[in-house]
Amino acid sequence: MALSARLLTLRHSPILLQLPPYLSALCILIGIAWLSILPLNEYSRQTYVSENAILPGQVHTYFGGSEHNVFRAYRQEVYQISQWSEEDRLAALGNVMQEIGLRVAAQPYRFTVAGEEVNGTNVYGLLQGPRADATEAMVLMAAWRNFEGKINYSGVALALTLARYFKRWSIWSKDIILLIPMDSTYGPEAWVSAYHSTTSEVTTTRNISSLPIKAGALQAAVALDYPVGPWGHRFDKLDILYDGINGALPNLDLLNTAVAVASGQMGIGCSIHGMLSHSDSYRDRLTTLAKGVVTQSAGQATGPHSAFVPYHVDAITLKTVGDGWHDEMSLGRTTESLFRSINNLLEHLHQSFFFYILLNANRFASIGNYLPAAMLLAGSFTVTALALWVQSGQVPVEPTAKIAGTGSEEQEPKLEVVKVGEDIALVPAATTKAAEREMLLPTAVVLAVHLAGFVPLYCLNSLHREYLPLALQAVTATSLILPAFTSTALTRQFKTSTQQIQIMQSFSLLLLGATLSTLATLNFSLAFVIGVLASPLSFIRPLPKATDLPFLRSANKQYLYNVDVAISFVSALLHAALSPPVVLCALCWYFGHDVEGVLVEMAKGWAAQGVYTSFVVWAVWWPAWVVGGIVMVSGAVGGAGRQ
Amino acid sequence: MKLSQLLTLPVALASAVLAIPEYSEHLHLRPLPNGYLYAGFNFTASTTLSAYESQHFRYFPRSLGQILQHSHTQELHLRFALGRWDDESWGSRPRDGRREGGTGVEIWAWLDSGGGRVAVEERWSNLVNSLSGLFCASLNFIDGTKTTRPVLSFEPEGTRGEGGGSMELLHGTLPHEVVCTENLTPFLKLLPCKGKAGVSSLLDGHKVFDANWQTMSIDVRPVCPVGGEECRLEIQQTVDIVLDVERSMRPRDDPIPRPRPIEELECDESKSYHAPDTCYPKRKEGEMAWSLSKIFGTPVRGSCHLADGDEGSDIGIEVLPDRLVNVLHGGSNDTLAPHKQNHDLRLFRLPDSARQHTDIMVSQQVIQQVPLQNQPPLYASRQITGFGQERGGMHAVIRNPHPDQQRIVYLESLPWFLRPYMHTLKVQSHPTNSHDKPTMDVKLEKMYYTPALDRLRGTHLELLLTVPAESTVELTYDFDKAILRYTEYPPDANRGFDVAPAVIRVLPNNTAGNGNGNAQGSYLRTTSLLLPLPTPDFSMPYNVIILTSTVIALGFGSIFNLLVRRFVLAEEVPPSPLALRVAQVAGAVGAIVQSLKGRLRGTEVGQSSGRKAAGGEGGMNGSGGGAKLNESGGKDDWAGGATSQDESRKHR
Repeated sequence: MALSARLLTLRHSPILLQLPPYLSALCILIGIAWLSILPLNEYSRQTYVSENAILPGQVHTYFGGSEHNVFRAYRQEVYQISQWSEEDRLAALGNVMQEIGLRVAAQPYRFTVAGEEVNGTNVYGLLQGPRADATEAMVLMAAWRNFEGKINYSGVALALTLARYFKRWSIWSKDIILLIPMDSTYGPEAWVSAYHSTTSEVTTTRNISSLPIKAGALQAAVALDYPVGPWGHRFDKLDILYDGINGALPNLDLLNTAVAVASGQMGIGCSIHGMLSHSDSYRDRLTTLAKGVVTQSAGQATGPHSAFVPYHVDAITLKTVGDGWHDEMSLGRTTESLFRSINNLLEHLHQSFFFYILLNANRFASIGNYLPAAMLLAGSFTVTALALWVQSGQVPVEPTAKIAGTGSEEQEPKLEVVKVGEDIALVPAATTKAAEREMLLPTAVVLAVHLAGFVPLYCLNSLHREYLPLALQAVTATSLILPAFTSTALTRQFKTSTQQIQIMQSFSLLLLGATLSTLATLNFSLAFVIGVLASPLSFIRPLPKATDLPFLRSANKQYLYNVDVAISFVSALLHAALSPPVVLCALCWYFGHDVEGVLVEMAKGWAAQGVYTSFVVWAVWWPAWVVGGIVMVSGAVGGAGRQ
Repeated sequence: MKLSQLLTLPVALASAVLAIPEYSEHLHLRPLPNGYLYAGFNFTASTTLSAYESQHFRYFPRSLGQILQHSHTQELHLRFALGRWDDESWGSRPRDGRREGGTGVEIWAWLDSGGGRVAVEERWSNLVNSLSGLFCASLNFIDGTKTTRPVLSFEPEGTRGEGGGSMELLHGTLPHEVVCTENLTPFLKLLPCKGKAGVSSLLDGHKVFDANWQTMSIDVRPVCPVGGEECRLEIQQTVDIVLDVERSMRPRDDPIPRPRPIEELECDESKSYHAPDTCYPKRKEGEMAWSLSKIFGTPVRGSCHLADGDEGSDIGIEVLPDRLVNVLHGGSNDTLAPHKQNHDLRLFRLPDSARQHTDIMVSQQVIQQVPLQNQPPLYASRQITGFGQERGGMHAVIRNPHPDQQRIVYLESLPWFLRPYMHTLKVQSHPTNSHDKPTMDVKLEKMYYTPALDRLRGTHLELLLTVPAESTVELTYDFDKAILRYTEYPPDANRGFDVAPAVIRVLPNNTAGNGNGNAQGSYLRTTSLLLPLPTPDFSMPYNVIILTSTVIALGFGSIFNLLVRRFVLAEEVPPSPLALRVAQVAGAVGAIVQSLKGRLRGTEVGQSSGRKAAGGEGGMNGSGGGAKLNESGGKDDWAGGATSQDESRKHR
C-alpha cells in the first residue's frame, strides 16, 4: 500500500520524466558493448562433448588402402557422368549406387522462385543397417553442385566410396542414407520436407514428389563439399558450416564431434566462417563472432545441411578450404569416424547446446551469456515507449493567453497555494495536467503502417527477378516519401495532437520492443541486428520549430525559415539513411554483394525455405521506421494543430 | 499273451509316430540374391494330450509344458525377431510369414476363457511372467497397456477336440526388446539335443545375431490326427535367419572388414580410365561359394537321432538343378547322396551317428538361369510423418504387385501415448504405375477399434479391406503426442518411444484357397517405429529445483520471519494464553482437591466449613495472576492448604 502510493507520487517526479532517453541510450550502449566482451576468456567457454555416448575419435578408422583406388575410379566416373545430359547422369548415379548394393530411388522437384522455375531431381540410396531395426537413420549428403555452384566431383565420389565401404560393416545401428541432390538449396529442402510429410501439396511455388523409400527418424546429416575434379587437390583445413535456416543451429555436440575427430584424430585443422587463420586472439574471436551474427541474422541457407536443421535434424557441412597436405582419404576417414560416433548415439542429440555463438572452432558463448545483449536492445524501445505513454497522459498546462516574446522574463517557477484543513502551503504549480488519451487514431495509424509493410514484402518476394531491383527502388522511393506524406495528411486532415503523436510512437516502439525480445529467443542475431539498426528510433521526437528554440527568439523571420529548412533537411537525411531499403543497399555495398543477387536470395529463402528474415524487415522494422518518420515530420508540418 | 502285447506295443507306437512324429528337425537352405543365404531351422516335438496332462514329458519341454498348464494356455505363439526382411530383393517371406514376428518380442495365445475376464487376465499375466523368466526377456512388461485382443488377424492353428471350452485370444508386443544370445540359449535348452548335435549345433549366438534378419518362434498347438487317434500337443520351434555370406565367411581371427589388398580387388578393366591406381570395382557375377562350416563356423555335428523310426534330422537345400552341391560326411571325402530330389530342392538325411560331422559345400558358379523368385503377396511400409513435439501422422503404404485383388486385415496396436484421430483416417488407393489416375477411397469392409485409455489400455485398430490389383493403398491418420508424467519416461527418454509394427494378414483367396495350410493366409509385418515425444530437459528441473529451493529458503524464510515477528521489550511480553489456561485449570483442580481434602477432614474431625472456604478462596485468587503468579499462587494455595491443615490439627 505504502509502496504503491510512493510509486504513484513518482509519476510527477521531473527526474523520472527526464530519465528514459538516457536509460534507453544506456541500454543500447550496454547491449552493443555486451557482445564485445563475449570473446574474453571469462565470458566464453571451451567447447566440450556433452553426450557421453558419442565417444569422438575413439574408433580406429580403416578407410584407406585399396579404397583409394576405388575412390579415384569413382571420381573419374563422376567426371565422365558430369559431361552427360541430366537424365543420363541421374540414371548413371543410380546405377553406381545400385552396384554398391543400396536401394535406390529418385525424387523430382520443382520450385518457382522469383518468377523462375527450378527443376531438379534428388537421387538417393538407402543402406539398410544390417542389424538395425529401421527406426533411425543418418544422412550422408554430397550435393552435385555445391553452394557456390561448382560441381562437387570429389565430394560425390567420396560419398559413393564411403557408401561402398560402409556396406561391408555390420556395426550400423542406424540406416545410412546417401543423398545426392542436384543443388545445395532446393534439393535438400525438397528431400527433407518430403521425408517428413505424408503427401506434399502442390503450391504455386513448390511441387515436390513424395519419397518412394524412407527409413526411420533422421538423427543427423553430414554433407561433404569437396569440389575438386579428377586431377585432385590437397586441402589445408575443413571449414565446418553449421548455420541452419532462420538461424537455427545444430546441436553443439555434432559440431564438437566433427572438430574433435578432424583435429584430434586426423590432425586436420578446423575453421568456421572461413576464418582460415585464426590466432585465437581477441580480435579474431570478435571477427568470428561478428561473422556468425551476420550469417545467423541473414537466416539464409549456408550449405546443403541448412535445410535439415529446422526439422530438428542436426546437420553440418564439411567443406575443404585452402591448400595443404590433407587428401581425400583424410576427409574420408574423418567422415567415417564421424559416422561411427553418430552411430554410437543411443538418443537423439539433446545433451549439448542448441543456442550458442562460436568464437573459434573450440570456443563458444552460451545463450545465458549473450542473450542479455539483444534483450537490452529490445528493452531500450520498451523504456522509451513507456516514457512516451506516461508523457502522453500529461498535457502541459498552457497559460491562457501567452504571446511569444512576452513571457521571456518569466524565470522563477510559478507557485500555488494549497490549503488542506488548517494548513496552508505554497507549492510549485503543476506544469502538466492529466488528460484523457485519444487512442483510436494512433492505433489505426500503427496498424495501417504494419499492414502496409506486407506490400513491399509481397513485391520483393514474388516478382520476377528482373524486376526485383526496380521494385526495391520503388520501395525505397515510396518509403522515403511515405512518412512525410502521411504526417502532413494526419496533421492537416485529422489535426493530430502532440498526445496522439506520442501515443502513436509509444505503440510502435512497444510493438517493436516486444517483437524483438520474442525474436531474440528464436534467432538472437536477427533480433540484435534489427535492434541495433532500429535503435535511433527511440530518440526520434517531433522536429522543433525554429521559433520554439530559446536562442533564436530574436532572429528575423527569414533566418528562422532557413533554420527550419536546415533542420528538416538534416533530420530527413539522417532518417532516410536509417531506412530499411537504404540500409539493405548499404550492407550489400559493404559486403560486396550484388543487390539483385541478394534480393533473389531473399526471395528464394522466403518462397522455398521459409526464411522469415524479410518478414521481420518489412513487417517489424520498416513499420517502426515509418512511424518514426511520421512522428518526426509531424513537428515540422504541424504546429497549428498542437494543443 | 502278455509278451505278444509287449512286442506289439512298439509297433503300435511306431505307427502313431509315423502319423505325427514325436521329434523331427529340419534345416532349409536357400541362397538369396546379392550374396545372402537363408537358413530356416525347424524343430518339431509332440506329446499326447494324456501324457501332457499327467505331466509325462519326453521330447516336449517340461519347463514350458508346466507353464502352459498353469496358465491354462491352449495355444501359444511366441516370437523373437531382429532386423528386417528385404522383400524387394529376397522375395516372399519364408513360411508365408506365419512363423515370424515384429521387431522385438511378440506373443499371442489362446487362453481358457472360463472364469471371466479377470481370470483370463490373471492367466495372461501368469503366462507372460513365467515366459519372461524362462526366456530371459522382458515379457513381464506386457501389461494391460500392451495387450490387445485382435478379432480378425489371428486364428487358432491347432485342431481342437470336442471337449475344449471357449478360448480367448490375447496379443502383446514389446517392440523395444533387443533379442540376443540370452534369449537363444533358453530356446536351445528346450530342444532334446540342446544344440549339441544335429542341425541345432549350427545355432551359435555369434552367427545368429550377426544375421541381417533373424526370427525365433515357438508355437504350441494341439493337433488331432484325422484317423481318430489321440490328440497330441505339438511344439514347433523355428529359427529363420538371413546371413550375409561374405560377412559370415570372414575368418574369425580377423573379423574387421578392412579394405582388401589391392591385388585382390576385381576391377572393371573396360573403363577408359582404368589404371594401376584407379580401379572401378567389378560387379559381382555368379553365385558365391560357401560352405556350412565357413558360414556357421562349424559343420553339423552328428545328428539328433533319438529313437528308431523317427525321421531324425534332414537338410534341404534349394538351389538351381545345375548347381553343384557337395555334402561331405564324416571328415573323409565321403559324399552324401541326396535322399530326395525334386526340381529345385535337394534333401539330405543326416546319418544316425553322433560323432560324424556333415558339411555342405557349394562352389562359385556362374549360372545364366535366374532363379525363380516368388513375389511377396504385398509390399508394406509404415512411417511416422511430421515433426515437432505436438502432432504427427501415420503413413502406411501397402502395394499389391499382383494382378488379383487381395483382402487383407491390417492390425495396429498403438501405445496409449499416441492418440490417433480416427476421423482423419483415410484409406486411398491409386494404381501403382500411373500417377495420373486419381486416387480413390477404399471402402473398409470392417473396422474394429478399441480406443485407448490413458495409462490403462492401448489403441487397437483392425481394418478389413481389399487392396485392388496392381495398386497402392495409402493409409494415413493424424495423432497427438501425449505428455507423460516425468516419472514415466525411461532413462533414454530422448531416444523416442517404440511403436509396435503393424501386422498385415493377407486372407487366402477364396477361389484358390483349398489347402488347409493356406487357410491362415500369409502374414507380413512392417518395421517398428520411433515416436519422439515431448521430453523435458531432465537435468534442468534438478538445477531449477535446487536453486529455487535455496533462494526461497534463504529469502522467503528471513523475510517471513521479519514480517511476522514483533519486537517488544521483555517486560512487555504478555503471558501466553496457553499458560494462563493451564494455570487456571491447575488452580481449579487444586481448589477442588483442597475442598475434597477439607471435606474429608471435616467429616473426620468436624472441621468448620469457613476455613475450608478460605483455603479455596486463596486458591482462586492465586489462579487469577500470570503464569509465574499462578505458580506462586498455586504454591500459596498448597501452602495455604497446609496451614489450614495445621490449623485444623491445632484445633484438634
